[in-house]
Amino acid sequence: MNGLDLAFLARAQNADGGWGYGAGESSTVEATAAVVLALARHNPAAAVRQRGLAWLAAAQHADGGWGLARDDPESGWTTAWGVLALMRTDAARVSEAGYAAAVQRGVAWLMAVKALRVVDDRLQNEMRQKLAVDPTLSGWPWRPGEATWIEPTALAMLALSAAETTAAAAARLDEASRYLQDRRCRGGGWNFGNPVMLGGDLPPRSHPTAWALLALQRVSPQAIRDADLQILRDEMHRDGGALALAWGLLALAAVGNDDPAAAERLRAMQRSDGSWNANPYHTAIAALTRPAAVAARGHLPIGSRLLTPDT
Amino acid sequence: MTKPTFRLSRRTFLRLAAFAGLGVAAAAYERVARRIGYVNYLRWLVRGQTQRLTGRPAVVALGQCPTYGDDVSGVLRELWRSAAMPDVAGKRVLVKPNLIDVIEGHPTTTAAPVLAAVLDLLQELGAGEVVVGDGPGFRREAWPAVEAAGWAAELARRKIRFVDLNYDDPRPVPIRDGWFANQKTIWLPRHVREAELIVSVPKLKTHHWAGVSLSLKNLFGIVPGARYGWPKNMLHINSLPLSILGLYQLVRPMAAVVDGIVGMEGDGPLFGPAVSHGLLAVGADPVAVDATCTQLMGLPVERVGYLWLAGWAGVGQIERIETRGESRERLFKQYEAPPAGLT
Repeated sequence: MNGLDLAFLARAQNADGGWGYGAGESSTVEATAAVVLALARHNPAAAVRQRGLAWLAAAQHADGGWGLARDDPESGWTTAWGVLALMRTDAARVSEAGYAAAVQRGVAWLMAVKALRVVDDRLQNEMRQKLAVDPTLSGWPWRPGEATWIEPTALAMLALSAAETTAAAAARLDEASRYLQDRRCRGGGWNFGNPVMLGGDLPPRSHPTAWALLALQRVSPQAIRDADLQILRDEMHRDGGALALAWGLLALAAVGNDDPAAAERLRAMQRSDGSWNANPYHTAIAALTRPAAVAARGHLPIGSRLLTPDT
Repeated sequence: MTKPTFRLSRRTFLRLAAFAGLGVAAAAYERVARRIGYVNYLRWLVRGQTQRLTGRPAVVALGQCPTYGDDVSGVLRELWRSAAMPDVAGKRVLVKPNLIDVIEGHPTTTAAPVLAAVLDLLQELGAGEVVVGDGPGFRREAWPAVEAAGWAAELARRKIRFVDLNYDDPRPVPIRDGWFANQKTIWLPRHVREAELIVSVPKLKTHHWAGVSLSLKNLFGIVPGARYGWPKNMLHINSLPLSILGLYQLVRPMAAVVDGIVGMEGDGPLFGPAVSHGLLAVGADPVAVDATCTQLMGLPVERVGYLWLAGWAGVGQIERIETRGESRERLFKQYEAPPAGLT
């Protein structure tokens, strides 16, 4: 990996300042936030990054949340991406100049969003029996009012833990941590939501396992088991896609591990134009796995050891 | 997740309606249609009755193809011809196979030889732009699953692109016919919005919540995860039957080619065992195709919530179906029902 990835990202920026999931495709919050975070790590002063931040700020809704894209009127799971991208999580925990208020409004949305909670005793018992979960524990949903899932929970935990230090946030993070541990698959790792369906074990998957590990490392690292890490290694190689490898490497690095074979597989997938799959989102996540330039220290894209300032 | 709650069978409803008139209609409204509103309930009721009395029979062509090593293309070509399928010449066609997830030892995805046969047929028939797309509910990146399912080589050989519908420039589309309560739009991928025909090519499977996973349940893969998440929980919150038929209303015209050469029974759509069935089914009315396949699996159509509702609301045929090709008797195979049973 090399600076070609950053050059690709600069070329792939849309005229409106954001990035899409493919070069030339409409700007989305997730892709733009990921690119902004990658640039924060490698080239924080870049003009393209500043324009990306401005696009994100403009895409925020009046309720403090973000949707899929600037013209999506409904706030959802990408709110955590917006918070992470606008937040400069250095030691002082201050947001990017001019975006402090936007971050706080995003945090408020994350704290307030409601998820589907089962309160009926009969249904709770059914969930315990059929899904092997504690239905009283809740995380975050993809969209307001829906059930909670591993990835949006972990993403919100990362944003909240980096941005908010109130007692209410601590309580929410504690419950979310217990939620993640409750949803762990038998033998380690995570599926997308429940560990069991109708009495049968669901298999762990690379992507949610990586997300859960990143969040637990930040909030309750003692909860991470060796089996989770082994599952992640196995699953990221079994999947073999750029995204699975990149997120897997980020999660392993967060807990002080690495996987040279996975890193080599990921490097080999880089295209001659510097991208992974001609996709700004994939390219940004892959770029986050390589060491930061010295000048970029102090910028923490996501709460993990790999991305901690070298101080 | 909420299980569908459509427990009143069509037959029961009709019998009760004949005896008790408006009182039963009100009861049915309470049990069946509370989510959709009184106006939609009446509109669908009238449309369903009209279809039942005056609708033209749907045509479903059935073929036997014992293994994937047999002449899948030849059987499919004959079925397509006899099923009175729509003209595809010059049209932008989205082929939507089932890529939900690849799980070793379980036939979860549409088999590569069936996908290849569909692509060859569309090219023979002069289709314009043909792309293959899906947005798997359990894969953040679809391409590794495309390779694992054996599709990548078939696509490369034919120079046909695969589009990950989870990220394909989603834009809002107005809902039609009232199937998504409390929503005015659904965000759909570009290749779905721009397709002039969608050919759903599902794997024949049981499904633990929907009863069966066939050409209409396969439409869940057109909903972009980038907006709705992985899996697409909104569709379950809205209720599976309403979501399945609501998506169908958005993508018409649509055709169905069902891969039942090897099906899945029991704990579908991911963990059930394989069933060697030897079935291919083709039709331009996906409701009729799914109803026919459900019967060929030995499962009662009236206990599959979305099929019963489709017939009741008049969005497709579940009764007046003309089958052509191989006989139903030769293609019948009793499947084990999903573990939660049928609704």
